[in-house]
Amino acid sequence: MTALTRPARPGEDDAAPRPLPWRRMAGVTWRQHRMTLAGVAVLLGALAVWLWTAGTPLHNTWATAAACHPASSPSCQNLISAFDSTATNKFMGSKGAGGVLLQLIPALIGAFAGAPVLARELETGTFRFAWTQGFARWRWALAKLVLLALALAAATAAFGVLVSWYYQPYEGVGGQFLGLNENTPFAYGFSLREVTFPAWTLAAFAIAALAGVLIRRVVPAIVATLVVYAGLAFAAAGLLREHYLAPLATTRLDLPGTTTDWVLGQWFTKNGRFAFGGNPPSSILNQFCSSGKAAGPSFAPCLSPHGYVQWTSYQPASRFWPFQWIEGGWLLALSALLIAAAIWLVHRRAA
Amino acid sequence: MATLTRPARPGEDDAAPRPLPWRRMAGVTWRQHRIALAAVAVLLGALAVYLWIVGTSVHHAWTAAITCHPVGSPACQDLAATFNGTWNNMSIPTVLLQVVPALIGAFVGAPVLARELETGTFRFAWTQGFARWRWALAKLAALGVVLAAAGAAFGTLLSWCYQPYSAAANQDLGLYGNTPFAVAFGLREVTFPAWALAAFATGALAGMLIRRVVPAIAATLAVYAGLAIAAAALLREHYLTPLVTSNPNLPGTAWLIAQWWTKDGRFAFAGNPPDSLLNQFCTFPQSPSGKGGGPSGPPGPPGPTYAQCLAPHGYANWMSYQPASRFWPFQWIEGGWLFALSVLLIAATIWLVHRRAG
Repeated sequence: MTALTRPARPGEDDAAPRPLPWRRMAGVTWRQHRMTLAGVAVLLGALAVWLWTAGTPLHNTWATAAACHPASSPSCQNLISAFDSTATNKFMGSKGAGGVLLQLIPALIGAFAGAPVLARELETGTFRFAWTQGFARWRWALAKLVLLALALAAATAAFGVLVSWYYQPYEGVGGQFLGLNENTPFAYGFSLREVTFPAWTLAAFAIAALAGVLIRRVVPAIVATLVVYAGLAFAAAGLLREHYLAPLATTRLDLPGTTTDWVLGQWFTKNGRFAFGGNPPSSILNQFCSSGKAAGPSFAPCLSPHGYVQWTSYQPASRFWPFQWIEGGWLLALSALLIAAAIWLVHRRAA
Repeated sequence: MATLTRPARPGEDDAAPRPLPWRRMAGVTWRQHRIALAAVAVLLGALAVYLWIVGTSVHHAWTAAITCHPVGSPACQDLAATFNGTWNNMSIPTVLLQVVPALIGAFVGAPVLARELETGTFRFAWTQGFARWRWALAKLAALGVVLAAAGAAFGTLLSWCYQPYSAAANQDLGLYGNTPFAVAFGLREVTFPAWALAAFATGALAGMLIRRVVPAIAATLAVYAGLAIAAAALLREHYLTPLVTSNPNLPGTAWLIAQWWTKDGRFAFAGNPPDSLLNQFCTFPQSPSGKGGGPSGPPGPPGPTYAQCLAPHGYANWMSYQPASRFWPFQWIEGGWLFALSVLLIAATIWLVHRRAG
């Protein structure tokens, strides 16, 4: 059988080196990028320890507050207010800096791991050696990018599971009836969950790999990646996410999921026709709502006797997983496209 | 006069090149780092445009809300809600802006020495008849001054943008107000350039120690994150000894550090009252006021409601706080120690350049 695989002209056998087996690339990739992977492991490990130590007391506080009976007793109220102040004001709380700063982690991991893969070879000139090893250079690039992407996606998916565990008490079912602080799962940390965290990391990694081929210098490629990633993240959070599925509209003043639904907009109709969007204008308020405080849902009681109906468009909390997979899906497709573009550039580049 | 400056032995005149004048280093620094400086200018410029647009609308909303009369009318409540709504849009950008000094400092500071060492160009750069420690000093000082100036200008704009949120009159009018210590304290006129300088100096030293640009940037970001979290969570509240009061009406612009209770002049317990006391004395339903501030309000003291039911039984509520009038002393204290740290780190870097063999 071996004779069949020999070249037809034995004289060229020694001149043309045999292609390297694919799996040997794993060793090469590991040796070239082990410092990066170790850095990622240390960063995610430290953050995981911190999330674990911060999340355990949070879960305990929530469990004692939710199990407290009767709920209106002073000691229960005390437990609930203890949970609420932890949930809102602490570093990782819904108003804290921690959740926002965690959004940087996928960008930093992707940029610092992805930009050097091709840019460092091009910048230092080692591509002349690396790309002439009898293993077509596009295969070389493909093997390294795919292996690193898989390693990063696995590590960040594990971290995303931990983040979801941390935020679980904020989305505890039925918590709002006890006065516990609750939030919509779409608002904070949506891009840091099991599906979206690896997807965003992969997107940053793919952007960085492509930027590295185009710019051919590591540090400018990292900077460009961070800029592009910031634009993409803001566009996704501010413009795209709410349109993944058509929002539901209701005239109910209390949404089915109360605080866990994601309210997108509010408007009033009169006699079946659109009257105004958002908060009522001052003229209407002065006319009909002259008494009492006017804030948010309390506009409806004083306006409904005059024929105004309040509409709310929202995304129900039950759409959390479809939204995760939609965001993960388009990010994965984008990453595959960018990596394919980077490999095509490597392939057609005149050495 | 010219002959006095000639060397005593004219034969060595050509062999020993004259030291370069310091100011020529400005040209060298500019040519080597103009891309980095241009990127910093673009980043800060784009953010400044954003802050200007946001700040203008915040100031308009605030002026409209604060001049509205009478305060309780629905129209005024509407204006107040508009102003309070602006803060909900500002809270996430405020957190993200904290990384700007770190990124600027790390990406400008780390390549100054690490890139010369990594690519080998230090062999050329450090043999130009201008002692290599002077070469390092001139570049680091020039870049540090430029970064500090740009950072101070940006911090001034940011202070203007955030000024309505810590105005003293907000509390009485039902407007969102917070202590100026909590609202982007590290991004003001004094602290923004100080933090950017600290990141720059850390980057320069990390570059000299690690001798590779990308690992030096990563190390700088890690060290900076540790320093920033330590300063915000541990150091800042101790810059000056906090004041202590038993007056429950603390202004909303004061920074509440801690609270505790005494009974008959002796320490009873810290923080919120324990369950046993609450069950004994505070049997009224207190769910709305027991929460620590409203959804968009400051983390105000939950004290007053507990104080009402505990005071008749001899408990007194004490609070330690930093008054808002200490904002500027705190700015200068934080700016001062960061500046001293930066000078120390840059001096260490230059000493390492000086003593490094060949």
